[in-house]
Amino acid sequence: MRRPIIVLCGLMLMGSACSSDDSGGSAGQGSAGAETQLTVFAAASLTGVFRDAIGPDFETRHDGVTITFNFGASDSLAGQIRSEGTADVFASASGTWMDAVQDDPGVTERTDFATNRLVIITPPDNPANVVSLDDLARPGVQLVLAAEGVPVGDYAREVLQSAGILNDAEANVVSNEEDNASVVAKITAGEADAAIVYTSDVSAAAGNDVTAVEIADDVNVLATYPIAVVAGAPDASLAGAFVSYVLSDAGQASLEAYGFGTAG
Amino acid sequence: MHRRLPLPVVCLAAIGAAFVALPVVALIVRAPWGDLGDALRGAGAGNAFRLSLMVSVAATALSVAFGVPLAWVLARGSFPGRSVLRAVVVLPLVLPPVVGGLGLLFALGRSGVAGRWLHEALGIQLTFTTWGAIVAATFVSMPLVVIATEAGLRSIDPRYELAAATLGARPSRTMWRVVMPMLAPQVAAGAVLAWARALGEFGATITFAGNLAGHTQTLPLAVYQARQTDPGGAIFLSLILVAISIIVLVSMRHRLTGGR
Repeated sequence: MRRPIIVLCGLMLMGSACSSDDSGGSAGQGSAGAETQLTVFAAASLTGVFRDAIGPDFETRHDGVTITFNFGASDSLAGQIRSEGTADVFASASGTWMDAVQDDPGVTERTDFATNRLVIITPPDNPANVVSLDDLARPGVQLVLAAEGVPVGDYAREVLQSAGILNDAEANVVSNEEDNASVVAKITAGEADAAIVYTSDVSAAAGNDVTAVEIADDVNVLATYPIAVVAGAPDASLAGAFVSYVLSDAGQASLEAYGFGTAG
Repeated sequence: MHRRLPLPVVCLAAIGAAFVALPVVALIVRAPWGDLGDALRGAGAGNAFRLSLMVSVAATALSVAFGVPLAWVLARGSFPGRSVLRAVVVLPLVLPPVVGGLGLLFALGRSGVAGRWLHEALGIQLTFTTWGAIVAATFVSMPLVVIATEAGLRSIDPRYELAAATLGARPSRTMWRVVMPMLAPQVAAGAVLAWARALGEFGATITFAGNLAGHTQTLPLAVYQARQTDPGGAIFLSLILVAISIIVLVSMRHRLTGGR
């Protein structure tokens, strides 16, 4: 009578060991060796450009250096840095979360390195026929946004507020996602009618199968991304070199190719 | 009768117990008890609590309604592919919940394999609804009912059913009057585990049903959303989950351990 329960509990244990519910990712901790490790925490929207362009380019220019990226929502990353402090470099999608890290544990060489604007996306066939920002206020449109506290979620609500449709649009929100990648995923799966994400998410380099609807400049938000070396980084000069590379012509060119604006 | 326990066993057990108890104790210690009311209100505790209870109970009911027949077929039936069916049915237990949620999305979502028909022919959409959260929770918890029930069925002496048949009982009467009463403890234990699993479900829910307060934001999702912007609220929501779980598990302790 007792055995089935034990088997059950064992299977549940296995199941929960296999599950990964935390999307914050895990920062690799480099062990001692000839290789140097650099740990970069970066906003989810920077995944493509950092992982596929800037990261490899930096590693090519700096022999023996391996970069470990931890991508996630900036609020989530800031929380991890403040409680666990394992990052060398932090690139945030908003000043708010960089301020939080600046408070504790502190940063050096803080510089704005890129900008991003917002855009509406719909599934390729645009089932709800969304062609303008005002359409998001139309009853029955299923809108997906990132949660409040996540930079792109806050920016999106700013845009809706500037356009005067925040309340109506909020009534259409069907899900508050944890980062921009999850928002895009709902649209590429064809599950929602529309969402607001970054223009970098619709760039050719991002390769997302969505239809983009522009947001007028006068209501759009210019998201400014700061980058900094985190206090307590084991190799501050290497971390500083990474920051400098991101700010260099080569780094800025990569960012532009991935749909970001320049900081200057 | 009281037997002395070996010391190494007691030491390891103590470490194990501390390991499991420490996070709960830490939550209680770190909770900002002074701000209880505001933190709970801000984090949407009322909605999350109500939804969690509703979703977990509904998911358990569905798991039992479909899981027991499934277990019956697996235990008593004989058809080709039975072991494959059993493996498939148990799969959600070992699959990462987010993967399960993705699968559900592509199967039952608006553009999904079966969901497309549901949406176009019947106007039903499961994603972003409470029913979607129930579906996600049922997906991950049904295997627990199936496993418990199948094990129970196998341990029942078939001679009872033979005796009933000899005395003239039809299969359905045998099932309800002879087997089910003997199976009830097993099914109940499976149902409790399924309920606990459904209560804590996160990955499949957020991937398939989404995250919206009052509709799909169960307690685990509310904790996840509150943890950066409202850590106090997150702690209290977590403690609510702990409290519910302890109450039910303690009240069911006899069923789960089969005795003392």
